[in-house]
Amino acid sequence: MKFELLSDVRAVRDGWRWGGVRPASWPEAGPGVPARASNLDWARQEPVRTLRWLIQRGLSAPFARAVTSLRVEGAEWLRDQKRPAILAANHVSHADTVVLLAALPDRAREQTVVGAAADYWYQRPMLGRLVGLWLNTFPFARTGGAQAVLHSSSQLLKSGWNLLIYAEGTRSIDGRLGKFLPGVGHLANETRSPVVPVHVRGTHRVMPKGRRYFLPAPVEVRFGKPLEARNGEGSRAFAQRVEDAVRALGDGSADREVMGTWIDRWRAAAPRTSRR
Amino acid sequence: MLALQYHRSIPAYALVRATGGHPSVATSDLSMLDLGDVPEPRPPGPGWMRVRPSVSGICGSDTAAITGHASLYLDPLTSYPFVPGHEVVGQLDDGTRVVVEPALGCRVRGLTPPCRHCAEGRIGLCENVTEGAVAVGLQTGYCASTGGGWGEVLVAHQSQLHAVPDRLPDEAAVLLEPFACCVHAALRGGASQGDVVVVQGAGTIGLLTVAAVRLFTPPRRLVVVAKYPFQREQAKRLGGDLIVGPDEVFQRVRFATQARRLDGLDRPLLLGGADVTFECTGSARGLNDAVRFTRSGGRLVVVGMPGEEKVDWGPIWQRELNVTGAYAYGTEMTGERTFDLAIAAAPDLALDNLTGPLFRLGDYRDAITYALQAGRLNAVKVAFDLRDLRA
Amino acid sequence: MGRPGAVIEVDRNTPPTLFHHGEGVRLERLPQGSRIVYAPDPIEPVAHPERAIRRALGHPLEDDPLRSLLRSGMKLTVAFDDLSLPLPPMAQPDVRQLVLEEVVEMAAEAGVEDVHLVAANSLHRRMTEDEIRHIVGDRIFSTFYPDQLYNHDAEDPKGNILIGKTSHGEEVTLSRRAIESDLVIYVNLTFVPMDGGHKSLATGLGSYRSVRAHHTAETLLNSRSYMHPPDSALHQSCIRQGQLIEDTVRCFHIETSVNNHSFPAVANFMQKRETDWTPADQASFLAIKQLTDLAPPGVKRAVFHSMRAPYGLTSVQAGQVDAVHDSTLDTVRRQMLVEVEGQTDIVTMGIPYVGPYNVNAILNPVLVVCMGLGYLFNLYRGKPVLRQGGVLIMAHPCRYEFDSVQHPSYIDFYDEVLADTRDPVDIEEKYEQCFAEDPWYRQLYRKSNAYHGVHPFYAWYWAAHALQHVGDVIVVGGQRAAVHHLGFKCASTLEDALEMAEQTVGRYPSITHLRLPPLFLADVK
Repeated sequence: MKFELLSDVRAVRDGWRWGGVRPASWPEAGPGVPARASNLDWARQEPVRTLRWLIQRGLSAPFARAVTSLRVEGAEWLRDQKRPAILAANHVSHADTVVLLAALPDRAREQTVVGAAADYWYQRPMLGRLVGLWLNTFPFARTGGAQAVLHSSSQLLKSGWNLLIYAEGTRSIDGRLGKFLPGVGHLANETRSPVVPVHVRGTHRVMPKGRRYFLPAPVEVRFGKPLEARNGEGSRAFAQRVEDAVRALGDGSADREVMGTWIDRWRAAAPRTSRR
Repeated sequence: MLALQYHRSIPAYALVRATGGHPSVATSDLSMLDLGDVPEPRPPGPGWMRVRPSVSGICGSDTAAITGHASLYLDPLTSYPFVPGHEVVGQLDDGTRVVVEPALGCRVRGLTPPCRHCAEGRIGLCENVTEGAVAVGLQTGYCASTGGGWGEVLVAHQSQLHAVPDRLPDEAAVLLEPFACCVHAALRGGASQGDVVVVQGAGTIGLLTVAAVRLFTPPRRLVVVAKYPFQREQAKRLGGDLIVGPDEVFQRVRFATQARRLDGLDRPLLLGGADVTFECTGSARGLNDAVRFTRSGGRLVVVGMPGEEKVDWGPIWQRELNVTGAYAYGTEMTGERTFDLAIAAAPDLALDNLTGPLFRLGDYRDAITYALQAGRLNAVKVAFDLRDLRA
Repeated sequence: MGRPGAVIEVDRNTPPTLFHHGEGVRLERLPQGSRIVYAPDPIEPVAHPERAIRRALGHPLEDDPLRSLLRSGMKLTVAFDDLSLPLPPMAQPDVRQLVLEEVVEMAAEAGVEDVHLVAANSLHRRMTEDEIRHIVGDRIFSTFYPDQLYNHDAEDPKGNILIGKTSHGEEVTLSRRAIESDLVIYVNLTFVPMDGGHKSLATGLGSYRSVRAHHTAETLLNSRSYMHPPDSALHQSCIRQGQLIEDTVRCFHIETSVNNHSFPAVANFMQKRETDWTPADQASFLAIKQLTDLAPPGVKRAVFHSMRAPYGLTSVQAGQVDAVHDSTLDTVRRQMLVEVEGQTDIVTMGIPYVGPYNVNAILNPVLVVCMGLGYLFNLYRGKPVLRQGGVLIMAHPCRYEFDSVQHPSYIDFYDEVLADTRDPVDIEEKYEQCFAEDPWYRQLYRKSNAYHGVHPFYAWYWAAHALQHVGDVIVVGGQRAAVHHLGFKCASTLEDALEMAEQTVGRYPSITHLRLPPLFLADVK
């Protein structure tokens, strides 16, 4: 163990000419590393991951649960995941993400990335970094070519991350469910991931579109049975099926197709066998 | 005469034990030891002679008694006050150099017929140690009547005396008694040529056991567990093949015997292991390690004097170990006396390398403190030099 | 973007140079006039890896499209490289995951029921569940583990079959499962030019009997170097074995290569040349240096071994092994080759924290030798950078510390074998058989996560060429007792080491520093 901070700083200061001019004898500067899109990198590495874990576990999740007196149904579908899933949710307010993350079981939450509109959240770099750190977002381009966004999303799923996306594409003004974009279907087909329909109700009172502060109000989150694309089912058709499922969750219907039978839920909540 | 005496005092004993046997307390005025002028011991009968010690060793059993660590089992086998010192090379009145064989058996005590052990020649196991011409005592150096090495004069029966060859200096001859113990242990161990033997501990007893095993029962591989650099050097010189530290004993023995190793909560164990182990440290750690790296059915010879040590008997039972003590000497199964074997082998071993430093009797406090830390201080046998006490 | 490799000369204005020092970093000032060799910049990765993979599988080199080789009812075995590469491990998704997912998808479409995925780890250790999951991805792991996805067991008496001998008398064994399969697909990642080609199957699914044919002190002495297969006796032997395998089993090889973007963003300063360091990089360096100076070893190890490299796939080709491998090597050399003019008297290098044989474990002294005098020394084509009789200076703490789970036989190798002799030929003669046949090591290899009993010998033979070539080896900052036990000299600072080296090479020696990782292949003229 040696403490050499001062001499190290001195060596770096002298070596790299702090406050001086770049010596002419140095070769032409190059970036040295390929420029990476910021969507996949820093927010999903240490130490950011540990920092986020502390923030979410310690602060934002308990706080969100308290402010919204959160009620969750169907969390057992996500307790014991074998593979990453796409979480397709309706979108009503900015508070949705915090609330949905708080509703997830701990292990699922730690492995979840949120698709955030690139043109809204990533316009200002500081804001983009802030939500990246706190909520584990990545930029989701709403306009322009879908290829790039699909590619980055599929890379994330292949790396073991759950993907939370708001399939309507924007927040609903009147609280009613809008049309789901087919992107969700493309993604599911491309990566063969299960899609978990999610419905959140009540956040429009917590932080409606237009208001910048939040007020306490009760919120309910329901997770449905994971859906898999059937053989030969097109992306649009599948996206429609997911939309119907989320609507059914929102209606409070006890449709077996959506909520699953108690037997399905019982088996999904089977006790974990010890790992070693 | 000037001598160091050991008195039986319960308060002193309690005090010494309470301080954990710290040398400064154990050799102080409040301890069992007392240096002073005491009456010379008188020869109890014909056949007894006076011996003036030249060099007397400090043995682990002596320091254990002084620091209160000796087993209480030995108390009834001792008479007080006694002059310690049983590793003695000295001179008779006519100038002959002799080494003393300390065991006080039937012959020394003038008892006939001899007990069954003395009849076999195993005088260390004599059952008549409470009878006869001298007081109770297993050995000279633990007996009130005979005096001991740490004094100007002691008396010995002629059967206890062996002539020391000229080419063996005093510093080497003082190690003849412990060497004889180790020769006896080696013969009791009975290792054969294909065996892997481990000698655990490389103090005086450990190193002399290495030499004895190499000479009398040379095995396929002789592994020595030695802690300190000087010990490691000497172990190599005296015939060890592989010298290892106490922390790596399981790993190295496993490799040497191609055994399997299982790691337990407190200590590992070997499935397989050494054929014969000589335990020369007498410590709980050494004994507990030894019962786990000696192979099932193997032999564990306890050579170093243990006290009341806490040993896990589970391994001894499950592995069907033959645990046997090796104490003192006498006449071996071949008919030769252990001391004769030792005297014959000693001159080629350069044993005087192991002796040092020598102290005067008046400096007994320093001597005993040094002896207690011998390993760390690069010494093996610390001894008293009494040659200048002679006029 | 995309500069080639460079050899820079140190002058008064040059900033200090970054040296890896095991699980730590240092800045050193090299004397003026020294050369520093830098790797080329990472080349642009393929834009759409999945598409490239599908194209390669649809248009293989000198073979039929993979789809046509798959049919329902067949027995299919897919072997893949284990975690000894790439180093540091790749960020998810690993290229092998991408390839395997395409292959498995095709197998699913064709209705192939009997599929086994085998990690071709040869005599390397079994991988843990998490390590396998990292390579193959969650989807494949949850579908196939553990019955159809497992590590190769080279010591299974019934699972390894002798298929014959080559023209030079080398025995060839292969796993039973592979022999009984209708098609064996090998998913390879060629990280350095030593990997891939015929070596994949010959060693990956081989056993001690077949590996010992070419993993000998003499073969490795005659491999100058094994990073350039045409000059490597090791590879000649593997090619012979591989040809026998090709004649016995129907094989289909898929090889990939990646660029050398070896460090995550937080450790960019390790990737970049010192003259390119931005203030963020300098701050990053200072932070990591303090962390590694002050943190306890467990924390340091965890931090370093959790680093994942953002490699990009640079090429993928499939089909017949020779055609495929030639194409792969072209790309790999394009990324790695650096021209170096002439040899030097002294070569310096910092040994990084990880090598092929200590992922998630400590680099023990034997492995330091394997890295420094083995892998890193042999990254040349033509002639070594260091002249015959020159001095090699390596920086590493080199502590007597071994991972008892992964490297049990290494501990005994260090204590028992190296205490007797350090000459590879002697070592092979006296000790190799005893270690290879020790029943306890065999048990640990088969049931635990330990390298095979004979593995430390291979680590030592890997350095055979260098041990013969160099005049002296000096370890900077190493633990004295361990360095001496290895037979080298020890210095506390680089300046002292350079002074000591002058005893061997004379005053005013020429010095070259190999600034790796990222790795490169020196083309010495």
